[in-house]
Amino acid sequence: MGSEIIVVIVVATALTFDFTNGFHDTANVVATSISTRAMPPKVAVGYASILNFAGAFVSLEVAATVANDVVEIQANSIGLLAVFGGLVGAIAWNLITWYFGLPSSSSHALIGGMVGAVFVAEGPDAIFFQDGILGKVMIPALVAPLLAFVVAGLAILVLYRIVGRMRPGPVTSGFRVGQVISGGLLALAHGTNDAQKTMGVITLALVANGTIAADNFHVPDWVVVSAATAIALGTYVGGWRIIKTMGSRIHKMDAAQGFAAQGAGATVILAASHVGFPLSTTHTISGAVIGSGAAKRLSAVRWGVAGNIVVAWVLTLPAAAVIGGFTFLVTRVFGTGAAGPIIVSTGIVIGTVFLFIRRAQQAAPPSAVPLTEGSS
Amino acid sequence: MIATIVDWDALLQVIWVSLAAGVGVTAAWGFALLGSTRAIEVGRAGRAAEAVLYVVIGVAGLATVIAAIVFGIVILTGD
Repeated sequence: MGSEIIVVIVVATALTFDFTNGFHDTANVVATSISTRAMPPKVAVGYASILNFAGAFVSLEVAATVANDVVEIQANSIGLLAVFGGLVGAIAWNLITWYFGLPSSSSHALIGGMVGAVFVAEGPDAIFFQDGILGKVMIPALVAPLLAFVVAGLAILVLYRIVGRMRPGPVTSGFRVGQVISGGLLALAHGTNDAQKTMGVITLALVANGTIAADNFHVPDWVVVSAATAIALGTYVGGWRIIKTMGSRIHKMDAAQGFAAQGAGATVILAASHVGFPLSTTHTISGAVIGSGAAKRLSAVRWGVAGNIVVAWVLTLPAAAVIGGFTFLVTRVFGTGAAGPIIVSTGIVIGTVFLFIRRAQQAAPPSAVPLTEGSS
Repeated sequence: MIATIVDWDALLQVIWVSLAAGVGVTAAWGFALLGSTRAIEVGRAGRAAEAVLYVVIGVAGLATVIAAIVFGIVILTGD
């Protein structure tokens, strides 16, 4: 009975993470559409949430990677508590970076949290460092933003060659229409890659509980539907502070740049999802946004803000790992039953409510987000 | 060590597909805009043959975008 309660808590925590993932990341997805005025903020967020939901059903390759290739979980209560610790590490880091307006990476937070908690719980042998973390997470995570940067840069150069001599009015309108498509694809890509990470973690918990045999990997339908719903709801609630960072503080973009950046981000994420790479969608989208600006004019990019984002990226994996490991230790203080997860979950809920209240007191309303058009 | 732990086939697939689709679809949308906008302009100027050419360019660009998206989703959901 105790392990069943822990499974319920882990699933609820995983879906909460998925919600915060949508809340934290999808602002990045819609920021370009909003900053170029391709869509009003509320429409963009609603549209993105629907396509995030749909994206979760596209494939299961990333879920398989997260469940099988990052850590090895034992089918016992320690394994369950490790999954719980990893999730809490990721959620805590997401909330901290959200509170301070830093576009971190939910994906790296999740991987970092899981690695930290499993490392403390099961030791280094339970971490698939080379083939899994390095080969399927870290190197693709390094390549993806650079690739998005190059693709967006090339795309905007080609676009300017094609439409450069046309009157700006119709062109801008045309690219705003295009952004409805590219923004939709980006939201679909986000849902595809990120919702699957939660599916993978819930499946890990089910393996740890013995509900699913380790040698018979499959993602139950209810896991797919619940993960899709959670990320879609998180997307809808949105994160306006990060919209501001991604949409106008990196560089002020025109509609063509927004279109190129979204298209590049979407193609890289979808291609990576197809082969099972759990990318950081935030890193990839940021790379595309910076690439579309740098190709036009290097000085158009506010490199200081881009540098701050890089620092947050670098911090995410170790910080989430430390919090994940620490959470596992705190949970173990209360034994291997459900008491630890219940107490830690209560603490997380209280902390989250506190941060939301503080944020609500400080945040500007959505309509106050500066919307800019044209390069500065 | 890196050479043996990275799935190069998968990584190279991501790279070439992203380059081809990202740049290709974006360029196709650019041609769709070019064709549709220019077709209206030259049509108003009475240059019918030129307008037809731009319509063809615009339709080809739009068709390429739609085909690429449909093809991509079919490939993604095919596994």
